[in-house]
Amino acid sequence: MTAASATRPSKVAPKRVGERQEALAGYALIAVPMLLFLVLNIGSILYAAFISVWRWNVRTGPQKFLGLDNYVNALNDPIFRSAVTNTIYYTVIWVPLTMALGLFLAVIVNQKIRGKTFFRGAFYFPSIASSAAISTIWIFILNPFGLFNEVRGVLGLNPLFSLLGYDANQDWLGDYHTAMNGVIILNAWTTSGTFMIFYLASLQAIPHEVYEAAAIDGAGAWDTFWRVTFPLLRPGHFFVATVGIIGGLQLFDQAVQIGNVDGAPANSLMTLVLYLYNAAFKRLQYGYAAAIGVVLFLIIFTATLIQRRIFEGRQPTTA
Amino acid sequence: MRDVPEREPTPTDPALAQGALDVGGGVAQARAIGVAAALPAPVGKQQAIVVGDTSHAWRRRLAYFFLIGYALLMFVPFAWTVITSFKTLEDSVRLTLIPQPFTTAAWDYALNELHPNVAQMFFNSFVVAIAVTLTNVVLGSFAGYAFARLRFPGRNVLFLLVLATLMIPDQLRMLPIYIITNALGLGKGPLQLASIVLVLAISATSVFLLRQYFLTIPKDLEEAARMDGAGHWTTFLRVMLPLATPAIAAVTILQFQGTWNGFFWPFVLIRDQNLWTLPLGLTEFRLVGGFGTNWPPLMATVVLATAPILVLYMFFQRYFVEGIAASGVKG
Repeated sequence: MTAASATRPSKVAPKRVGERQEALAGYALIAVPMLLFLVLNIGSILYAAFISVWRWNVRTGPQKFLGLDNYVNALNDPIFRSAVTNTIYYTVIWVPLTMALGLFLAVIVNQKIRGKTFFRGAFYFPSIASSAAISTIWIFILNPFGLFNEVRGVLGLNPLFSLLGYDANQDWLGDYHTAMNGVIILNAWTTSGTFMIFYLASLQAIPHEVYEAAAIDGAGAWDTFWRVTFPLLRPGHFFVATVGIIGGLQLFDQAVQIGNVDGAPANSLMTLVLYLYNAAFKRLQYGYAAAIGVVLFLIIFTATLIQRRIFEGRQPTTA
Repeated sequence: MRDVPEREPTPTDPALAQGALDVGGGVAQARAIGVAAALPAPVGKQQAIVVGDTSHAWRRRLAYFFLIGYALLMFVPFAWTVITSFKTLEDSVRLTLIPQPFTTAAWDYALNELHPNVAQMFFNSFVVAIAVTLTNVVLGSFAGYAFARLRFPGRNVLFLLVLATLMIPDQLRMLPIYIITNALGLGKGPLQLASIVLVLAISATSVFLLRQYFLTIPKDLEEAARMDGAGHWTTFLRVMLPLATPAIAAVTILQFQGTWNGFFWPFVLIRDQNLWTLPLGLTEFRLVGGFGTNWPPLMATVVLATAPILVLYMFFQRYFVEGIAASGVKG
């Protein structure tokens, strides 16, 4: 272990010196990455938790210890509550919708068909573009005089839409009744290809013999899917749902790109993260913003745990 | 000789699921990482699974009907974007496939009239994306190699700590990072770009991908180098790193794409207009820049902002879609 042993090799020393050198090399290689992880990640969350119990002055830092007051204030804040509601609404609808689309695409693409690679690439295609580009495109398409309204007019669907209460020039993303649903649909459109990729990997992990057995038992395609494929995809469902829920609860980009930082129209696009942003950078209430961040973290963490429990507790055959 | 840590992350590991969202805020940017980190490696060549009897012609037709329909649904908005960029504003709200008149005025506007100039935003985006990619490749392969192949006290604990950082949402880090980068003097001038690079300099996903790949490389190669008297550094640099090219390519694509498309951190950390990256510029022009509903130049800018990633996708689709998954979770 000492420097001297390096200069006088014995039967034991070389191994020890080697071990020490190996450990030193290891520490040297991880030093910079670990420093960044510790400061920017672990440090950040501890710092956020610390800020959240203070009234925090933007220039001078901690001003007055508030304990849990920031948290209590958040719970009593109507805009915070509507941000929670909006975020949960988005997540609850967007996740199952996109999972269903992704699974459907994966099952079809997984058949023996021509052009499999092409279709897979095509479905994944929107996922490669930036959220800013996608939002801009959809704002254009869904504007009152945009492609969507034009096409439904040409297809003669307007009577159907007017039954639902929408006129020919409905401003889908500018009307607070429809803005969030518009975001749900545009994000389902963008992400279905990604969920397809996740499901494809899960599908390919199912052994072929299982299907042969099902075929021998005379199961049709429909039965085979619901009784064999769907339950066996449980790890895939778990993974996709977890990714979806975590992503859904963090909805931010599209909300800003469409409704600006105010969550327009009429707070309908005010999400939790957007509210956090507002508290921090518009109202400069750092302590309050940090508290919202901690709440968000706890919600996400809990959602992940609950989900894990549900998916692990259930027997595959009940699905 | 050296042990792989007992606890191998599994596809259902929530830490990894979190990782899917690590880069760039929403799901939009980073799900590919989820594929990379969390899916079981495909075994051999993929095998088409025939559900039931597909020989029925009608079923096949139905499948193609859906496939083609959905593919159209994917392409039409992009095609409409390109078409619109050659239209006049007046013509842009008409349902016509061929611009009348056909004009490149919108492109002239997008290329020359924007402030900051499109070239400036391209430059900003490139600088940040290239820097983040480089740091992730370099630091990721350092840490990945150390965690995969070198023995040192605390190795497993530290690696779990790295994976645990995937559980932390960017939003929780937003305020602390903002305060920290300002305190470091990165809040002013071009250093704002550096603050983004600092935040994204290393992601746990990069470390994880590279570590998993290093684990798959046979130990004999390394031992042969060691026999020849090579030190750890030389072995890493001359023997192991070149062998890890597929994983490095995967990390490169992921980080470049994620950073190029990234919206959240630039939105939080950049205040000077001339430092806007393309996604930030695109959003700000529309929201506050008076660009409003001037659709044709807006669409031309969308095409410009997406083009580099599109080119990457055409050449490296494998890495985007499945190559990444393959290099992800072996070992």
